[in-house]
Amino acid sequence: MIKGIIIVNNSGKPRLVKFYQNVFGEERQQSVIRRVFQQVSTRPDSFCNYLEGSVPEWGENIKLIYRHYATLYFVFAVDAQESDLGILDLIQVFVEALDKRFANVCELDLIFHSDKVHYILDEIVMGGMVLETNINSILQAINDQERMHNDSMRKAGPSDSVDTISTKLGAGRNW
Amino acid sequence: MSGMHLSREFFELIKSIGESKSKQEEDRIIINEIAVLKKKLENDKPGSITTSIPGAPGGGVATGGNTLTTNKKKAREFLVRVLYVEMLGHDGSFGYIKAVELAASQSIVHKRTGYMVCACCLSPDHPFRFMLVNQMQRDLVSSNLLESCGALIAVTNLITPDLVGTVSSQVIGLLDHSAETVRKKAIVALHRLHQLSPDAVPQQEVIEKTRKMLCDRDPAVMGSTLNVIEALARVNVQPFKDLVPSLISILKQICERRLPSEYDYHRIPAPWMQMKIVRILSVIGKNDIQASEGMYEILGDCLRKAEEAGINASNAIVYECIRCITVIYPNPVLLDAAGNSISRFLSSRSQNLRYLGVTGLASIVERHPKYAADHQLAVIECLEDKDDTLLRKTLDLLYRMTNPVNVEFITDRLLHFLRGSTDPYLKKDLTGKICTIAERYAPNNGWYVRTVTELFKIAGDLVDPAVATNLMSLVAEGTGNEDADDEADMLLRKQAVELYVTLLASAPNRMNRVLVETLAWVLGEYGYLSSIMPLDAIIDGMCKLLQSGNTAKLGGGAPSTRRLILSAIMKMVSQYGNCPAAAAKVIDDYTKSSDPDAQKRCLEFQTLLTTAPHMLGEVFPVDASLEDVDVDENLSFLNGLVSEAISSGARPYQRPEDDDDDDMYVGGSLSSETASTFKVTPYEKPTTTYGQGRMAGMGSTNMGPGGNANVTLPPGSGGTSQAAVTPSLPITPAQPQLMMRNVANVWGKQQPPPPPASTPAPVSTPASSGYRGFGAPAPSSYGGFGASSPVPAPAAPVKTAEQLEKERLAAALFGGISTTSQPPPPPPAAVTPQILTAASITPAATPVVAAPISAPAPPVTAPAPAAAAPAPEIDLLDMGSWGADPGPVATAAPSTLDMLAPTPLIQETVAAPPPAAPPAPPAPVPAPASVDPFADAGLLDGYTESAPLPSFGSSDTLGSAKFEFGGVAVAPLVITTPQFGERWGRCPATHPVNVPSSSSASTLSKFMALCERAGLHKVEEIPATNEGIAACMADGGSAVALVHGKVSPLPGGQQSRVDITVKSTDAQLGGTLAMYLQNMIR
Repeated sequence: MIKGIIIVNNSGKPRLVKFYQNVFGEERQQSVIRRVFQQVSTRPDSFCNYLEGSVPEWGENIKLIYRHYATLYFVFAVDAQESDLGILDLIQVFVEALDKRFANVCELDLIFHSDKVHYILDEIVMGGMVLETNINSILQAINDQERMHNDSMRKAGPSDSVDTISTKLGAGRNW
Repeated sequence: MSGMHLSREFFELIKSIGESKSKQEEDRIIINEIAVLKKKLENDKPGSITTSIPGAPGGGVATGGNTLTTNKKKAREFLVRVLYVEMLGHDGSFGYIKAVELAASQSIVHKRTGYMVCACCLSPDHPFRFMLVNQMQRDLVSSNLLESCGALIAVTNLITPDLVGTVSSQVIGLLDHSAETVRKKAIVALHRLHQLSPDAVPQQEVIEKTRKMLCDRDPAVMGSTLNVIEALARVNVQPFKDLVPSLISILKQICERRLPSEYDYHRIPAPWMQMKIVRILSVIGKNDIQASEGMYEILGDCLRKAEEAGINASNAIVYECIRCITVIYPNPVLLDAAGNSISRFLSSRSQNLRYLGVTGLASIVERHPKYAADHQLAVIECLEDKDDTLLRKTLDLLYRMTNPVNVEFITDRLLHFLRGSTDPYLKKDLTGKICTIAERYAPNNGWYVRTVTELFKIAGDLVDPAVATNLMSLVAEGTGNEDADDEADMLLRKQAVELYVTLLASAPNRMNRVLVETLAWVLGEYGYLSSIMPLDAIIDGMCKLLQSGNTAKLGGGAPSTRRLILSAIMKMVSQYGNCPAAAAKVIDDYTKSSDPDAQKRCLEFQTLLTTAPHMLGEVFPVDASLEDVDVDENLSFLNGLVSEAISSGARPYQRPEDDDDDDMYVGGSLSSETASTFKVTPYEKPTTTYGQGRMAGMGSTNMGPGGNANVTLPPGSGGTSQAAVTPSLPITPAQPQLMMRNVANVWGKQQPPPPPASTPAPVSTPASSGYRGFGAPAPSSYGGFGASSPVPAPAAPVKTAEQLEKERLAAALFGGISTTSQPPPPPPAAVTPQILTAASITPAATPVVAAPISAPAPPVTAPAPAAAAPAPEIDLLDMGSWGADPGPVATAAPSTLDMLAPTPLIQETVAAPPPAAPPAPPAPVPAPASVDPFADAGLLDGYTESAPLPSFGSSDTLGSAKFEFGGVAVAPLVITTPQFGERWGRCPATHPVNVPSSSSASTLSKFMALCERAGLHKVEEIPATNEGIAACMADGGSAVALVHGKVSPLPGGQQSRVDITVKSTDAQLGGTLAMYLQNMIR
């Protein structure tokens, strides 16, 4: 399974952190991020995209599979159940999906739209399992969601307060 | 949508964080941000809601009047900012409640933001998770499929094991949802629930659903189901065995491009599905010929098609095919195809493919080594690569490729990388691998010793201690073949010694513990073999090593390491035959060591050195670490003595009724008092650390002044035996008194010594048959004494079969290497031998002491064994119990000789006894005037004077110094005589000593003065009986030692004898004090 996904920039600042196998506590999560960054950042791009070893928080025999795009490292921590090259391609799919969604994705998009980045990721990986690898399906799900959101916003009318009211009253509206 | 909906505030924040130069600066900015966010939350308090000003429709302009509750957009931004704060490692828990609120929102996007922030931030035990359950339940059954999807994702992220039951039925219901996007998520969610709580969602149910979902009409659902199947099959493959045809059919269809083209990735049809199916096939085909044969064809097709495509996405499939082909039942055609693909990977310019090539090769060579040969060059190239990952994989490959031919090369390489590595995991891994291949494939023993020593040098701290033990046993045992040439073994030892001598000379300060200990043992045992450095120089080197700061730095192991070095020095002094000044100084220094073990060890050695240097060779036998020591566990050699004592009026030993240490007595049914006469409880083992146990086995038992030279104990007993040995050491000649003192109150006149126990001496015939029993395999070995004698074993200790088996195993395992053995086995097993050993050492001493006297004498007769010692010999041999035949008593005399003389002499002796017998009868009668029937005093005295050790001039130092225990001088214990008498009986540990006195204690007053100098309080001096008592305490009074001394002038000389009894609450204190006093008096 995929134990965790970390996107970190060239100076070690995390841009997305997702743990599928729980790592408890802020401190331990930060130490995982630091450890992962230290390991990947010292490797020139000419090296292979695999790092074997161990991240104590996830146990032994964890492989870090990563790709380096301009200012960002996309790091997937996986166990033996995942395919080495398959995950590498999956990272590519993820990045392509981000790129399509944000039209030329850049680092700032990941921060400003961290919630949307998470939605895209949720369509690709679910609970540590690869859910979908078809980029069209992934984008389709995201677009559906946004369309529906916009619809509901329009339906709710111009006033935000209406949204509030519908939340309070609308408990039974859908069911 | 763009970033427009986010406020300028957040933008500025991110900008400033991005520009921050240090972690401190970043923290400051974030703390500020947290304050801002908290303020926003406060303004949101229900009371503060006034009016909400309508914002622009669909726009993102948040106006000042909007609160988080009223403006979902603002709430969402708030949560994104909280998430950001959390991601940077700060606490955003103040905002969690907003996330829970937002999860209940109408809008799907807001709802999912709420769920997502909860999933990222809430710890598993957070109470908010429980608050979300209701919401998730509702969303799961929502008519809106996006809400269902959002809820399924939330379920996988947020449900904890105890909550599984609350949502499982809804999740199962969603497996039949009309939308594929819901179904594919539902099966993954169900698997997750099963992982969390196998009870709430049983395996059977998941398997059934999974099999059904595999046949879903939508390929996307099948795709996600494949992932679940692999995870399940890795846990339990059986339920999926029959899926092979289905899987093959699916794979075939994919390969033939029957799927819609939207599943292509870079023109490869559904590569992830292909990979997954191949992976599942490899799990199913492992160890299953039938299943494997079914998949050969499709694997071949799949591999060929992927090879043809030759792009990255297809390489992934190729790689999975290689892995599968090497795992399932082998097929030569497929293996060749896999071999070709590996070649292509290895020769690729892509680093990733080379990595996969090496990994693939590693998986194939273990079972099919021939494929390695084709790629030697490529592998060597990978070895020279700078990429650490590739290097590690290649090292792993090398490890798997190792065979007897290439082991030297590969080990060299691995050692080389180990030297340069800093990663602790890699180092540990490499260390283990080197140990494994060195042991499995070593071309010769010399190479093994060199390699393992090198490994110790590089990573001694990571090596399993057993490796050091193996190394030492190899040096000791050599080839281990009975008929192997000893020359080779000696050569190996010589090589090992010279290797370590060189190390000692070159880098004494950079050795780690395991290296120092191994070095100390090897040099201690075989230092004399060195031809590149004289033995005294080695001793000097060891002394320097001992005193060097490095040894002190060795951390927790320092005391045991120091003891090992001390032991080695002693052994080498014995080999050298003289004590170099440096060694004498070191040993003298350590008589004041704060480590009681080292202190005792050194005191014993000093005693031995001053009184009987010629016995060093027997105490420290050369190359005898493999000699087994037979221990007479029944103490049968004491039977005669005891029966004598009883017949002359002594009270039979009664076991205390309230003895709660029953297990110490090996068995409850001790019919003979002999064994139980020894009160063993007080001699508790101090500690049982690994090193100590080893150490004790190594030295202390060997060096008992009792002179039982070859007592290499079964390792388990080593640790404790020393404590038990201690009391008996100094008093060997007065052995009969020991029991009397223990039984009766000694305060007062001494018990008359029991008559020698030789009365029922056997005829010589049984005696001669006994010789074979003793038949010490090595001439110098006295170890054969008790156990091998055909004693009727009156008091055979009741031992469970398990105990015996354990001992046998321990002996088998460590027997060869007992001096460096493993930590003691479990106490029950260890106790027995240790007690018995203590007992057996004592009597054994006498013949040793007598040896130089009687051995040179013509072996034919015992030339009137004078006062010396027939009795103990008889006890040892237990002749009394052999024959009812009250034959010639004189057998006792020859037996003395037998014990001591070399084997050929023994034979002569055996033949001789009958004629010699007649004059002997009077011999057993003690010399009339002597208090001590054995008059051993004379013997010892002789040695002291005839063989003083020139370089060991420390008696002055000894005489002036206060006695120190554990590094602290003892304090006088001021008590009165009645108090003394009262305490006397309560002290559990007794250490009797009797010493032929020099002038230092020739009279009572001198003796008492000596006690006072040592730091004892003089309680009373009774000139009438020539007795005196003194007392001291250590450890601030927690340990007390009482001394009783009696000075008896010896008949017809200037000499007098001092009988000292030290009783103490602490066996160690008593033992060392007794030893110390003994030294002072001499």
